[in-house]
Amino acid sequence: MPQKIIIDTDPGVDDVIAISIALRSPELEVLGLTSVFGNTYGEVTAQNALRLVELEEHDSIPVSRGSDVPLVMPLEGLGTMVHGEDGMGNTNPSPPKGKVIKKSAAEFIIETVHTYPDEVTLVPIGPLTNIALALKIDPTIVNLTKKVVLMGGAVSRPGNISPTAEANIYHDPHAADIVMRAGWPLVMVGLDVTQQVVMTPNFLEEIYKANNPVTNLMRRILPFYQGFHNSLFGAGGDIHTHDPSVIVYLLNPDLFQTESVSVFVEIEGRCKGQTIADWHNQWESRPEVEVCMGVDAVGVLDLIKERLTKDIG
Amino acid sequence: MRNFWIDTDTASDDAVAILMALRWPDVNVMGISVVAGNVHVEKGAKNARYTVELCEKKTPVYLGASQPLVRESTWGYFFHGDDGMGNKNYPEPSIPVAKGNAVEALIDAVRSNPGNITLVTLGPFTNIALALRIAPDIAEKISMCYSMAGAAATLGNVTPAAEFNVYVDPEAAKIVFGSGIPLLMVGWEHCRGHANLIEKEIAQVRSYHTPFADFAIDCNEHAISTNKEWLNEPGLALPDPVTMAIALDPSICTRHSAHYVDVEIVSEITRGMTVVDQLGVTKKEVNIEVCWEIDIQGWKDLLYKTLQ
Repeated sequence: MPQKIIIDTDPGVDDVIAISIALRSPELEVLGLTSVFGNTYGEVTAQNALRLVELEEHDSIPVSRGSDVPLVMPLEGLGTMVHGEDGMGNTNPSPPKGKVIKKSAAEFIIETVHTYPDEVTLVPIGPLTNIALALKIDPTIVNLTKKVVLMGGAVSRPGNISPTAEANIYHDPHAADIVMRAGWPLVMVGLDVTQQVVMTPNFLEEIYKANNPVTNLMRRILPFYQGFHNSLFGAGGDIHTHDPSVIVYLLNPDLFQTESVSVFVEIEGRCKGQTIADWHNQWESRPEVEVCMGVDAVGVLDLIKERLTKDIG
Repeated sequence: MRNFWIDTDTASDDAVAILMALRWPDVNVMGISVVAGNVHVEKGAKNARYTVELCEKKTPVYLGASQPLVRESTWGYFFHGDDGMGNKNYPEPSIPVAKGNAVEALIDAVRSNPGNITLVTLGPFTNIALALRIAPDIAEKISMCYSMAGAAATLGNVTPAAEFNVYVDPEAAKIVFGSGIPLLMVGWEHCRGHANLIEKEIAQVRSYHTPFADFAIDCNEHAISTNKEWLNEPGLALPDPVTMAIALDPSICTRHSAHYVDVEIVSEITRGMTVVDQLGVTKKEVNIEVCWEIDIQGWKDLLYKTLQ
């Protein structure tokens, strides 16, 4: 039985890779994509989510549009410097054929979790606004969701969007704190591991040889993303592997080492969006989550390459 | 007929406000959404259902948010009694809680009646904020929102700076105030002082000998004593019914003006303070209509009418 998942996403260059891996993996049944603002505007991420299900003819997968703004604060920044205004490295992709469904993302999540009690894994790879909204509207989903595996945060490293914060958490710290303390089984795949998994230009060139719709799209959109990594980290052409690592975790969690700990989110001030692990239980008690602290980077990259290059006929 | 939707954390003064709307001739209350605030959400729903039943109506009562968006819960039991209804322990009503959740029910009602739905909020803004976040289009489809919220030109009640409903869920209030929804903020100050029902007026209500009049006073017995002892007020203060009176007859608000209003969510001391930019010094676009003065006799006459 494949794992039933909903990917909550703000595509986004690395979201493109992550979603494509998921759609190419028979171990996963993608019940829907829910979009959220983040890497770029909500209107654009919804369009990109549609483009992604259409890329290799998964048009039957519903796409639901979610929040255009954070839960509490006004919309401040987006990740357009990293991903381009169009979330696709400023490559001006053609419009999708399909349309988003009527139900909002939070409603779709609530409904789907109730349809398949204890079976659905939520996979947020953007700001956590939709997940927090679903939780607040229907708190019973805490006990009906199989687990949450999210990309976000950093407990042992500096941030990427600010000195203290990882971008997904930074874009909606209130929502992130709600999700972190909800008490459901949750795995945090943060910068602690995603920055250890590095795609080099050589690795990407190997992948591009597959010459399929996904790798051809990657070839177009990745140079912008590589350019940002180079300007911030002096990375040459190397890029960190954020969202795709989450999908690899679903496929093979043995590639990751996790530790149980309560995670708090700073919601205001210049450290907003910082995720803090309370290793010695010095703050108030809250449910622990599994934080990925170690990773077999070679194993992750091998699996990514295998999925992206295999012939799916 | 005017369509109303009431969002409430039903304790004693909410119950009177609900009763007023249910008994008002040209108003159709489409639904009641309950939110955690004065009391836990299930208890509030029981109190709302009891009130609906007393009025011999079938208005659906939906369960909404059981806690604020971000904050820990703050309750109003100390004010309204352990059941929220003056410790009268009213029996379990026979009408059940409506199926579905409050937020989606509210969105459906608004989308089905664009431009002809008045929202009256009597509790923390949690449900309304959630609805606006998943369905931002409803902001412009709601004809008017009358909110018992805040303290525009006076002191707070639950803290020196904040009124209870906004204090409980300041983030939700901030979301609603910034949403573009047309909103009249009826602050806590409008139920104080001369707007209280003093003993003579309470006796007058009692003299109607209707189940509505008795209910309105009985369920507020605990609130009357807390109001006198804790807040040094002269009698029975009815914040939610004052707001409902204005929603039923807007002429009861005799002075109002539009301002930029925002809610403090960062500070500990002034959490939930409704900051009104009366002089326009922030140069931010006005978003809220603030009620400054009410016709006190008009408010009382309207209340009496619904209790007879």
